[in-house]
Amino acid sequence: MTAITEEIKNDVRKIVIDYFAEECEVNTDEINNNTHIFDDLDGDSLMFLELIELFKKKYNLNIDLKTIGKYSLKHPVRTIGELIDMQILIIEHENNIINID
Amino acid sequence: MSKKVVITSINTINALGLNIDDCWQNLLKGKSGVKNISSFDTSGLETRIAAELPAEFEDYASNFVKRRISKQMTRVTKMGIVCAKEGIGKHFDTEYYPKERVAVIAGVVNTGYSSLEKQKDDKNSILKAMNNSLSAWLSMDHGFTGPNFSIATTCASSAYAISLGYEMIVNDQADAVVIASADSVINPEEIMGFNELYALSTRNDNPELASCPFSNDRDGFVIGEGAGAMIIESEEKAKKRGASIFAELAGYAITSEAYNIVSPKENGEGMLFNMDKALSHAKVETSDINHINAHGTSTTLNDKYETLAIKNLFGKNSYNIPVISSKSMIGHTIGAAGIIEGVITVKSLIEQQIHPTANLINPDPELDLDYVPGKARKHNMQYAISNSFGFGGHNATLVFKKYV
Repeated sequence: MTAITEEIKNDVRKIVIDYFAEECEVNTDEINNNTHIFDDLDGDSLMFLELIELFKKKYNLNIDLKTIGKYSLKHPVRTIGELIDMQILIIEHENNIINID
Repeated sequence: MSKKVVITSINTINALGLNIDDCWQNLLKGKSGVKNISSFDTSGLETRIAAELPAEFEDYASNFVKRRISKQMTRVTKMGIVCAKEGIGKHFDTEYYPKERVAVIAGVVNTGYSSLEKQKDDKNSILKAMNNSLSAWLSMDHGFTGPNFSIATTCASSAYAISLGYEMIVNDQADAVVIASADSVINPEEIMGFNELYALSTRNDNPELASCPFSNDRDGFVIGEGAGAMIIESEEKAKKRGASIFAELAGYAITSEAYNIVSPKENGEGMLFNMDKALSHAKVETSDINHINAHGTSTTLNDKYETLAIKNLFGKNSYNIPVISSKSMIGHTIGAAGIIEGVITVKSLIEQQIHPTANLINPDPELDLDYVPGKARKHNMQYAISNSFGFGGHNATLVFKKYV
């Protein structure tokens, strides 16, 4: 368990937005919480995996991909805002994320 | 009456240009695309020459493939996508036919996921190595939901792809078939592999002259890299949508030699059988054929046996048929050779002009056909054929007809 601070929230947000801006060749100011990852950015599911790996290393997380897979089935991610929220939950709960409704 | 299959888009990228028009102009000039390999350090290799794409390819490709997607594919797959997308963009309305009625067939030996690619970036290895990646990306890019698949028959792969596309049109399995292929074996391990087989030229001191099909100086093929793309449709539907028709695909033959994993059957018996079958399929006589774009690899056996096969099939008339090798300038593009040379043959029919066979300075006295040495020429043509023969005994002949 990691206590989520404003600093972590801002860090996650910046990393996610910078990552999508770079990968999808758009400006950061074109991305907000409501930006649709597939429809607006032409993103793909592999990008989720790359981001998770990035956060796993940065925050030394104990999280299995299969756990995230199961969580995502119950809580599908479509927008940047939803993705940021999920990443924060992963940092906070790691493998226990599966127990969150 | 069976359907006429017509070609409504052609394109190629290779050492002589990043589109069909630039390539064609350079072919007519007899310009060689063979140089010292620049993409990696060739020290220690027996062969250090190849026909590489122009250096501006990567920049050019960024117009067609987004950076994100580019990381999920090899350079070879990207070559195929760039070539096909340009052809589709110029000549095809992707919204005209129902998406499920458009198929994509790729002729792919492998995706070029070589040590060079792995050194550059080892991520997405599965996606890069998938043999179906070219057809899959083309299908996804345009939303085509008809079948997409790849065919691997070594150096005849893309000629097989065209043949299978023909069947899909004739049998009403698709309204249009996008056929694409790309290849490059310009990497240390595959060069060493071909050197083991004594298949490659080692004339490193004179790259531009190294690919010399039908010449007494030939000492093996020169690797080329490149891509080709075509779209085929039935004549009826192509006319209905107002498409430009470049040529008719009048017939084909694909057969196996069942003889040797690398060598062609003695005296070109398998090659002859295949060409004969293709003419029968197209319902034409030997006297109808006005031009042959030969497999013409610049290897001892291929050029000898292909010449013998032509002479035995066409008889006295064989001396009246200009036989050329595009490989003399663009090298051997392996899996993509069939479609690139098919595209060049279609262009020859459109322009009624034949590019020369380069480097035929010292002819082999045994090989005495009209190989169009050195200089392009105007030539009246109704029918032309293009041959592709691959390791494993895969033979393919495509018969093209001028469209009027």
